[in-house]
Amino acid sequence: MESNDVEEEEFEFSRNYFLAKELGTSSKKSACKLSDINIVDEQELRDAYANLGPKHEKEINDLMNSYKKSYSEWVFILRCGFGLLMYGFGSKKFLIEDFASSALTDYSVVVINGYLQQIHLKQVVITLAELLWDQLKMHGKTTWENVPKNQPFNTKSMDDLIAFLDGPHLEDKECFVCVVVHNIDGPSLRDSDTQQYLARIAACSHIRVVASIDHVNAPLLWDKKMVHTQFNWYWLHVPTFAPYNIEGTFFPLILAHSGSAQTVKTASIVLQSLTPNAQSVFKVVAEHQLAHPNEEGMPLNNLYTFCRERFLVSSQITLNAHLTEFKDHELVKTRRNPDGQDCIYIPLTSEALEKLVQEIIH
Amino acid sequence: MAQAARSVTSPPTAAAENNLQPFFVLHKAAPPRKPTGKTRRRIDLSPQKADATVQVLDDNFRFESFNLLWCKIDCTMRNVLREINACVFEEIDRWVRESFDAIRACGVPNLARATRPHPIFNRAETAASRQLFTAILLTKNVEFVDDVLTFVDLGVHLRSSGCHVAQLTSLDFSAKNGVGGCLKTLLRQFLTVGIDAPDISILASWYTEQGNYESPLVVIIDDVQRCCGSVLSDFIIMLREWVIKIPIILIVGVATLDALRNTLASNALQGLFPRGFTLGTPAERMDAIVEAVLLKHYHGFSIGKQVTTFLRNFFLRHDGTLTSFIRALKIVMVQHLLVEPISFALVGLINEEDTKSFGGENTLLRETMVKRCLDLPSYQSRSSRSNRNGDIWDCGLSELKRFRKLWVCMAMCLYEVGKNYKITLLDLYCEMLEPELLNSGTSCHFELEKDDPSLFGGLQKGGFVNQIIQIVRGLPAVELCELLKSWETLTRSITKINEKVKELQSLTTFDENCPRRDLTETSKRHTAKSNVNGKRDGTTINEKVATFVDCTIRRYMQPIESIPFNEIVFFDNVDKLRTALIGDPRRRIQADLLESHKFLKCSCCSKNGSMPSPSMHDTSILYTLTQEHGDLINLHDWFQSFKSIISHPGSKAKQRLRLSPSPKKRKGSIEPRNRSDASIQAEFCRAITELQITGLIRMPSKRRPDYLQRVAFGL
Repeated sequence: MESNDVEEEEFEFSRNYFLAKELGTSSKKSACKLSDINIVDEQELRDAYANLGPKHEKEINDLMNSYKKSYSEWVFILRCGFGLLMYGFGSKKFLIEDFASSALTDYSVVVINGYLQQIHLKQVVITLAELLWDQLKMHGKTTWENVPKNQPFNTKSMDDLIAFLDGPHLEDKECFVCVVVHNIDGPSLRDSDTQQYLARIAACSHIRVVASIDHVNAPLLWDKKMVHTQFNWYWLHVPTFAPYNIEGTFFPLILAHSGSAQTVKTASIVLQSLTPNAQSVFKVVAEHQLAHPNEEGMPLNNLYTFCRERFLVSSQITLNAHLTEFKDHELVKTRRNPDGQDCIYIPLTSEALEKLVQEIIH
Repeated sequence: MAQAARSVTSPPTAAAENNLQPFFVLHKAAPPRKPTGKTRRRIDLSPQKADATVQVLDDNFRFESFNLLWCKIDCTMRNVLREINACVFEEIDRWVRESFDAIRACGVPNLARATRPHPIFNRAETAASRQLFTAILLTKNVEFVDDVLTFVDLGVHLRSSGCHVAQLTSLDFSAKNGVGGCLKTLLRQFLTVGIDAPDISILASWYTEQGNYESPLVVIIDDVQRCCGSVLSDFIIMLREWVIKIPIILIVGVATLDALRNTLASNALQGLFPRGFTLGTPAERMDAIVEAVLLKHYHGFSIGKQVTTFLRNFFLRHDGTLTSFIRALKIVMVQHLLVEPISFALVGLINEEDTKSFGGENTLLRETMVKRCLDLPSYQSRSSRSNRNGDIWDCGLSELKRFRKLWVCMAMCLYEVGKNYKITLLDLYCEMLEPELLNSGTSCHFELEKDDPSLFGGLQKGGFVNQIIQIVRGLPAVELCELLKSWETLTRSITKINEKVKELQSLTTFDENCPRRDLTETSKRHTAKSNVNGKRDGTTINEKVATFVDCTIRRYMQPIESIPFNEIVFFDNVDKLRTALIGDPRRRIQADLLESHKFLKCSCCSKNGSMPSPSMHDTSILYTLTQEHGDLINLHDWFQSFKSIISHPGSKAKQRLRLSPSPKKRKGSIEPRNRSDASIQAEFCRAITELQITGLIRMPSKRRPDYLQRVAFGL
């Protein structure tokens, strides 16, 4: 009987797919263009977007509150060694942080914002190790044989750090650091190396993970070893219907003239996530552009000399690394000046650029 | 960034800033509380705070129970798996020694030569001495995850017999890190220090200097198929060159023999001196685990028919790994402890001597527990029982235990028959849990007398239990004797059944006293399954045994649901398990969107059924609209439908929708009354962004700028 159900389900699925395909091809394709919509001015659209009120605010709040009674259950599941994986429509950022700050007070909690573009896992692991160290000290365990803390954590290798997190420091299984990963399927965590590292971290005896996914295909990121033995997920379906305010910041608005102008806001967000040196390099380019608004941009070798003098970069390679990063985020572009030199410029208007420079300074 | 992360003691305004930090510390751990034992006693002194106390006690007891129970199960499972592998491990151990001796026979380099940073090339060396002894461990399992533990165990085993062992995984053999990467891990494991510039000569000098010379070096690579072929080949070629100085013996895990041939380059392959070993199949392991965890060693909790069947199907059809089965059991245990407030009594059940002192000296807890027990539906339905609380508790628990013992005993007896006939324990177990099994049980004696196989009471025709009874009927006398003998051992703890088995045994021995020829003839006839003979002889011993089996099943294998206090041990909530174990984001997220009113429980949106209403969540409206499109969605049309729904409440929206969108006219006709174009467009943008985050649509490409693509079709 059950096998029939399964078959039926599969049949239903393929039927749906072909029906949809058919619908796409047989019925006359609508030839309407996006440009037929009377799209409002971009700034107006962005303002409206920023001021969008929530629908069903009360119901969403009720829904969020209804999960509160499960908090103690979730803590129990975590204590039993599972990782919590929350999914369902709606931003779960608030829910998870509320859970962590109200129910996980006995444990240190680190939050990783997976929806951002760039995350250095090593830094996270160093912080985790430091927190665990503090926590172990609190438990009165200050010395142990296998991990002498004769060298600071930030000089240790990833393997050593993970070994420390996984160490059998205490008989008591209750001493762990909790890692909250918003959007473990997010853009910066999506590659397989990062996922492998995350899985290794999750498998450590002194780490528990609470993560959220939003993408329907997120489980494809993991193989069975990761799911069953490392992450050890306990799935929780917690639709919140809360707006993806922060998670959606990095997606271009479909009705805005896509890609034509980087707004100050997104640019400053990206810049803030970069290292101070990278920010300074960007500032050099920006200041040059503001000072010479009519030029094609800052010639590459001038930029290098300038940055080297200020000890912002030590070699051409580091500068190139920064520039590649800028280009990836469309913060800068290259063009040639009449002398045939490659010039770096920022595709923003002078006013926007000024605003941006001010934002970085603060 | 680390600085940013460390500036934790942040003002509340920093919340927004934190959102843009790659990571941050939400809070640090509160100072540890006093040990639970003390807390418990302290709380005892203040009975007026009973409720809060019970809550705290609940949490603590729940966790303690879980630890205790799961440790036991885990331990049992590990032992079972270790036992299954013990023979192979022994064999491998012997082979490692032999190989080591063979390498040593080619000559032991002196210290001066051995520490030179290059391999030894000796003219006198034989071809064999340039080969790498390699054990190929056939896992017979597509899913590698089940064997992770096996390889860890193998490492432990070899270490205990004095080998130096390094365990590498396929991740160490990545094209990105090359041979250096795996060498680094290798050195790290042998030398137990991290080395930045890995070189095999470091290993050679370590091996000589440390006086490690007497023991072989074993390198275990668990999953060859997933290694990068070229890196692994280079690694093998390198090891082979150094084999005299560093007597490394390789153990590789493969699913099939072809795998090795496909992965390795031919010159690396030639350098191997292979020997094959085989591990048990997943099905064998599964049966052993089920037998140990669910039957033999009682761990205090039972899973019902639905859960068991789900686990079985999940194992056979979906996942195929033992690991997920074990994980599911763990989830079941967690859920059971969470759902059933009285389930802590499980601890009392498995600790024989602890039954009475359950809850220790804590009377408050004991009282609460007994009170909860009295509320159990299974008890209330039999309320005519003794009223003294203590009695109820002790009687209830002991009855549960007694019942369990009988059930397990019978199950083992049945499995004893079935296992020689390819009936897996898991299948049998599922069937035995069927409450229907005994439904028409009362008149079984008479029916059986009629000797009509189709009238086996409520037993499912063609079911495994039925099959087993048939097997018993057709069993040759010698095997039957054997069977009864093993039953006699199995039932020793239960006198009632044991006596009957003995009785039957005495009948067979009586038969054995008959002339030998007669007996063999009978058995021949039985194997030939001759019905005519079957009837005549059947009334003799085989038939009696079959009758015995059937009657004992009916009498003793009651469904656990019918026993008072079964809630303490019984779990059968398959939906809860499924959602926690599998989680189906693809289906669920779509369902969330299509049925948002079910979750939001608002009064405004549910009226229209599946039709989108303007009050609905924007993304919900938009996703509902996608259902009307093919695999490509015209952005313009989509926007127009969205707009018409948003700006026209009630039935108008419906009508508008049905009209084929003719944008030109509509632009004029729609006068947004209370919403500006900008806000509608912004809402549309937000909804699309949210759909994009869920991955349900693909954004317009350069080639098709006006179309989005649907990704999911149907739930």
